[in-house]
Amino acid sequence: MIELILFGILAATYLLVIVKRMPALIQGFRYQSFFIFLITLIAGLTENQPGLLIVALLILALKVFIIPFVLNSIAKKISVDENLGLLINAQLSLVVALLLTYFSWVFSGMLGFNNGHISIAITVAFSVIFIGGFLMISRMKAFTQVLGLLIMENGIFLFASFLSGGMPFFVEIAIFLDVFVSVIIMGLFVYRINKLFTHIDVNKLSRLRG
Amino acid sequence: MINIILGIPVLLAILTLLIKKQRILGILTSIGYLAVLFDSILLFRRVLISGNIKLYADFIYIDALSAFFIFVIAIVAFASSFYSVGYIERDIEKGIISDRKAKIYYLLFNLFCCSMLFAPAVNNLGILWVAIEMTTLISAFLVGFYNSKESVEAAWKYIIICSVGIIFALLGTILFSYAFSLLGGAKTLNWSEIVANAANLDKNILKVAFIFILVGYGTKAGLAPMHTWLPDAHSQAVAPISALLSGVLLKTAIYAILRFGIIIIKAVGIAYFSHLMILLGLVSLGISCAFILVQKDLKRLLAYSSIEHVGIIAIGFGLGSPLAIAGAIFHIFNHAVTKSFMFFGAGNIVSVYKKHNINAIRGVIKVLPFTGIMVLIGVFALTGFPPFAIFLSEILIIAAAFTSDSYLIAALLLLFLSIIFGAFIYHFGKMLFGNLPKGMTRIGEPLSGKIVFLFLLLPITILGVAVPFIKEDLLWIAQRLLQG
Repeated sequence: MIELILFGILAATYLLVIVKRMPALIQGFRYQSFFIFLITLIAGLTENQPGLLIVALLILALKVFIIPFVLNSIAKKISVDENLGLLINAQLSLVVALLLTYFSWVFSGMLGFNNGHISIAITVAFSVIFIGGFLMISRMKAFTQVLGLLIMENGIFLFASFLSGGMPFFVEIAIFLDVFVSVIIMGLFVYRINKLFTHIDVNKLSRLRG
Repeated sequence: MINIILGIPVLLAILTLLIKKQRILGILTSIGYLAVLFDSILLFRRVLISGNIKLYADFIYIDALSAFFIFVIAIVAFASSFYSVGYIERDIEKGIISDRKAKIYYLLFNLFCCSMLFAPAVNNLGILWVAIEMTTLISAFLVGFYNSKESVEAAWKYIIICSVGIIFALLGTILFSYAFSLLGGAKTLNWSEIVANAANLDKNILKVAFIFILVGYGTKAGLAPMHTWLPDAHSQAVAPISALLSGVLLKTAIYAILRFGIIIIKAVGIAYFSHLMILLGLVSLGISCAFILVQKDLKRLLAYSSIEHVGIIAIGFGLGSPLAIAGAIFHIFNHAVTKSFMFFGAGNIVSVYKKHNINAIRGVIKVLPFTGIMVLIGVFALTGFPPFAIFLSEILIIAAAFTSDSYLIAALLLLFLSIIFGAFIYHFGKMLFGNLPKGMTRIGEPLSGKIVFLFLLLPITILGVAVPFIKEDLLWIAQRLLQG
């Protein structure tokens, strides 16, 4: 069961790499977060930890509903062209994503995880982190960078929950709060960039050099 | 005591919502940080004399290292808040910002200082991460404060690059806690517990984890090649904030690296830590040296100089002998004070000339005699000229390199430092003494603007003269700092 959900996360991550438009990207992020919610919920139920259940509910509330909603409403408000502006096209991005997954698998072996579902989990977690990073540098729109960060953070969360059974509860909560605040603040900056530059193409932000 | 240090910024932040006059707010803020400064000195003294402090079920843990960083943050925060009063007033008079925006400035200023003071005080490495991420999020607004195209671009790059960097630091932190959980104890991220069991931790995992930590917090510390956000953010921020960013924000990231470094040294041995730090340090020095030579922007020049000094600090810790660590610790303080001094000078210059461009700034000594002379002194202090404090800390590090037979490192340090010295004299010589641009006349400076320079000049010169006599104490303190 856990393995199936892990592969679901991977599939959602590949979906993020090939989409070309903003709403689809946000939707992909919701799928990914929903799978992570499922995994946390199952872990919380089987290990009978109320702390994990609360964390699972937080993921559901924040990452599946509130953050996508906030991002969508900002996207509507600034009403820019919805295309993400792929600097690397979808097919090639998929190849890169595949290579990153393979690299993650090698890397998790190097760290000493080479058996059972923990090795799959660590591989998936690293893939999500690296592909999130890849998305940030291969798309033009400032929005993708915000989402890339969120995706990387999802990967980190997955990594932490499989590696050491999650972080201490209050650290987890603090990190959630932090992520939420950072999305709001980055959203504000996207808004400001759009107002000042009348576009949100980060590859055109090049006034500061040297 | 720590309650007062953390409480005052929070209290001041609340006051910004209640008090209407921004001038009163500014004055109250400086008084508040003066109290924080005194308190931090008392705290440092107490930790050195009667040992570490643990509070609230080990949530707060203050050893000599934390107390030292809190003191450095407090001194720059005070100077910066004092300088802000005049600076913000001038901006309002010129109509650059409104009264309301000035209040927002003080609100953000206090929150920023609070998060920086909080970071060294916490025991939990996860909360340390949260505190450092908070510093980024709050200061991004202060970088983009003027809402110009350049400043918003700088703020955006700053927030994105630092957030990505710091995600890797979180990964490293999790690996550290995993290595600890392999020992079979309860799961915890408390530094004091991890370091107590450092010798038993899995060495391979720690080595990988430390790379992530170094990339993550190294981005925030401005170590090259992860430094790209730094010149943008430092040059676009409000001048008193540039001083805070450069003087102490980078240092909180170095503090985090040191926290993990202490665990690594105890678990894996010093060689691993040493090689990485020296490598990054030398790369930072080299890159900053190249950019300083060809720099055309006054504030970016100072920003690259911060990368240089962070590099020197990294090399100092990397060398690892007591002498080098004493030098690096001392250098952290010296750089914080001297660099704020220079950013205040640059702030005064830029607000009169209205340009950052080095070629547009000429004859500062004639327009702003006091600032001009102070900046002249600052240039010599910053580039390590005797009798100023930076000269001593650099000599300590170079001497340590020689005594540990690292001749190549010592030679590279000397080479880069002399090139940077030459470049600084060249750039500032033109700016300070050149022919006055048309239409500029001498401008009077208020006394309050002068006091802050004298306040910072005091430690720069006194320590430069006095330290040779108290070298034993410095070595003793440095040793205490890395004991944990």
